[in-house]
Amino acid sequence: MRYLARRAVWTILAVFGVSVLIFLLVRLLPGDIVDIIAGTEGQLSRQQRVAVLREFGLDQPLPVQYFRWIGNMLQGNFGWSFRTGQPVATLIASRLPITIELALLAVLSVAFVGIPFGVAASVSRSVRVRTLVQIIGVLGLSLPNFWIAILLIIGASSLFGWLPAIIYVPPWADPWVNLQQMFLPVLSLGLGLSAVVVRMTRSSMLEVLGQDFIRVARAKGLSTRAVLLRHALRNALIPIVTVLGLQTGFLLGGVVITEQIFGLPGLGWTLLNGVYQRDYPVVQGTVMVFAVTFVLVNLLVDLLYTYLDPRIRYE
Amino acid sequence: MARSTSRSHHGIDRRTFLGGSLALGGGLAGLDLSRARLVSAQAAGTPKRGGTLVAAAEIDPIGLDPHNSSNFSSCQAYDHFYESLTTYDEKTNIQPCLATSWEITNGGKTYTFKLRPNVKFHNGQTMTADDVKYSIERVLDPKTASPWISWLKAIKEIKVIDPLTVQMNLDAPYPLLGSFAGIRASAIIPKGLAEQENLKIKGIGTGPFKLVEYVPQDRIVYARNPDYWDKSLPYLDGMVFKVLTEENARIAALRAGQIQYAFFSGQGAAQLEGAPGISVSKSPTAWVVVHYINKRNKPLSDARVRRALRMAVDTNEVIQKAAFGAAVPSGPVPTGYGDWYIDPKTLPYVKADVEGAKKLLAEAGYPNGGFKIEIKCSPQYPEFVATTLVIQESLKKLNVDVTVTQMEWGAFVADNKKSNDSCGKEGTDIYSSANTFRPDPDGYLYPYFHSKGEINKGGCDTPDPKLDGLLVEARQSSNHAERKRLYEEIQRLAMRDSLDWWWYAKYNIEAVSSKLQGYSQSFTGRRLFLKKAWLA
Repeated sequence: MRYLARRAVWTILAVFGVSVLIFLLVRLLPGDIVDIIAGTEGQLSRQQRVAVLREFGLDQPLPVQYFRWIGNMLQGNFGWSFRTGQPVATLIASRLPITIELALLAVLSVAFVGIPFGVAASVSRSVRVRTLVQIIGVLGLSLPNFWIAILLIIGASSLFGWLPAIIYVPPWADPWVNLQQMFLPVLSLGLGLSAVVVRMTRSSMLEVLGQDFIRVARAKGLSTRAVLLRHALRNALIPIVTVLGLQTGFLLGGVVITEQIFGLPGLGWTLLNGVYQRDYPVVQGTVMVFAVTFVLVNLLVDLLYTYLDPRIRYE
Repeated sequence: MARSTSRSHHGIDRRTFLGGSLALGGGLAGLDLSRARLVSAQAAGTPKRGGTLVAAAEIDPIGLDPHNSSNFSSCQAYDHFYESLTTYDEKTNIQPCLATSWEITNGGKTYTFKLRPNVKFHNGQTMTADDVKYSIERVLDPKTASPWISWLKAIKEIKVIDPLTVQMNLDAPYPLLGSFAGIRASAIIPKGLAEQENLKIKGIGTGPFKLVEYVPQDRIVYARNPDYWDKSLPYLDGMVFKVLTEENARIAALRAGQIQYAFFSGQGAAQLEGAPGISVSKSPTAWVVVHYINKRNKPLSDARVRRALRMAVDTNEVIQKAAFGAAVPSGPVPTGYGDWYIDPKTLPYVKADVEGAKKLLAEAGYPNGGFKIEIKCSPQYPEFVATTLVIQESLKKLNVDVTVTQMEWGAFVADNKKSNDSCGKEGTDIYSSANTFRPDPDGYLYPYFHSKGEINKGGCDTPDPKLDGLLVEARQSSNHAERKRLYEEIQRLAMRDSLDWWWYAKYNIEAVSSKLQGYSQSFTGRRLFLKKAWLA
């Protein structure tokens, strides 16, 4: 419990740090919402500029702006988008499910593809399997996922003349169309992540398989399957779960670009567009959601350790 | 109303409009207003009612308020549901729209617009003079913070004469007012709408389509307006514009048949060449890449020097390197603009003439070049930098040393404005930029080259009586043919003396599936004619 309390304090501090950072960073970008609204063709007089800044509360000193934002956020009010006048909280709530679906599908596909491949690679003596795993590893690690995304989109349309419906359909409206729409984005996100997981699983498995208790398990006549899955994999999982957790950050970064490329109206693209259009409340709100998610996933991973290895205790 | 090549990488509209280069004036007053409305584009097949067009928007609009956003992306989105008093036909000539006719009296200081009767807003309300007054006054209200206010600020008073007659009184003659179509902040909305609705995401107009829904970063949905005043239009039941900023995604979606319309860059269009069932249309648009020259100081104060330097640069090389071939040579008025441009085949200095340039330089007293000039440009627009680098390289042949200074766009605009405001006393020799749409050819010439022009670099203290006279005559003339002749003469003079260096008008590239028929491009770059398109 004391451990949890300590972690909670650190979590709050981290989130607080992020809030200060994003608040300042977004204001350091050249240009502001007035420039964006005015566009580049028309002209705004000085008085008009001041009027717009006042409308958005940007005429206040920075500390005032910051504490007003934080204060409102603690009451669940994320502010209003400069650009559309919509409440940011509503915006995030409508976009979050898409990003969560994308991230979950990516992690699941990685877990269900990466781990079995890694296990197979660790026990297989076949050169082909090892080469395949090597290739996936190298490609997945070295190709940036936005590039993979573009390759996939071009490949699907020019080789197969196929692309899913372009207007996003939520899974509850039509699960089949939704899955088609998620297929390429998940693939592009999952490839890089799988590479890491395959390699991690393989090396972690190899290490465990060389230990005495595995030999004991084999000696007492357990099936290979039981040895691999119940004894070896369970013990090899800790580094894999750590990597998966860490990679969530990578995944959140990935969705930003992936959503933009595939035109998925999720949180990642909302963030990117917010940056382009200097929509401070939207950028700040979405970054906070990303930051909290990241911190929570890491906390979850740490707690998972105690489940995976009962010897681990947090004091 | 042109677009920049690299728009897919930035959510912000990157349209240039240099400080102070507002098009003021223009002689549309004299257009023959009784001319019949042009019939729809001649296209194969007979129009068919029905169907929903799925199209890609290359950028997410920055708000839908027609009065206070100057972004082209916004205009592209609200053009379908808002209308102005006048509009453009396929040849970019002014045509009646919500006003059926107008009269100019009181020495050009009074405009009286007759409104089209029985026009319904999308909420069922009938449009009247009160709505016109309300809408234009909203633009003029400083609280609206409209970037377009300077285009309309000549209006002193708007009077409702009767429900279908509006009178606008100006403080000085301002011929541009007839071309409301070119002033984007002139949409007519129902009286009081702005106080009731969030116009950034909602809208009620009189246009051929109603706005059904705008989901930022995702899609804009339109439905056919069954009460549209032009009973035969539109043919489509509706349109969905999906925001797809990634050009490769647009290419893929078009190939796979998921969309039937999209906008492309030159490089993107090349990938679509030969794709079955897709046709790519290109036509010049209002984006003329130009180098503004400060004519105050030596040696650039000498017309022979300016001409010699221009002669040494090959226009087609510029087009290849800066626009990847997707452009056409242009004079001051963009190639393709109504009746006003100069046939590119007859443009001077398209092919480089280094020998001629050397001779001319020697005549001007620089037999071996040997001087230095500075050109400023911004990497925000790679094509401006590319054009400038071609110049730098070409002028080496004349032994003229060009310093290329790259600046952040905002700083560049400020520097150029300083040069304009001081009549060339401050700032550098040459600025690289582009001219976008002006509602009248006057906007490409008068402000730059009349000695009283607002953005004349260095020419304000040394008036050229002939040019000044022609510019004023063209402004005041009410005869179309006469104005055409005058603007040709003015442009020839400007190019002979190389008052600025004009390079090319960029292509507007749009690709449609063969299912979409009857669509024609507009020189304005706006998708004005989707209302006349249909799905086969």
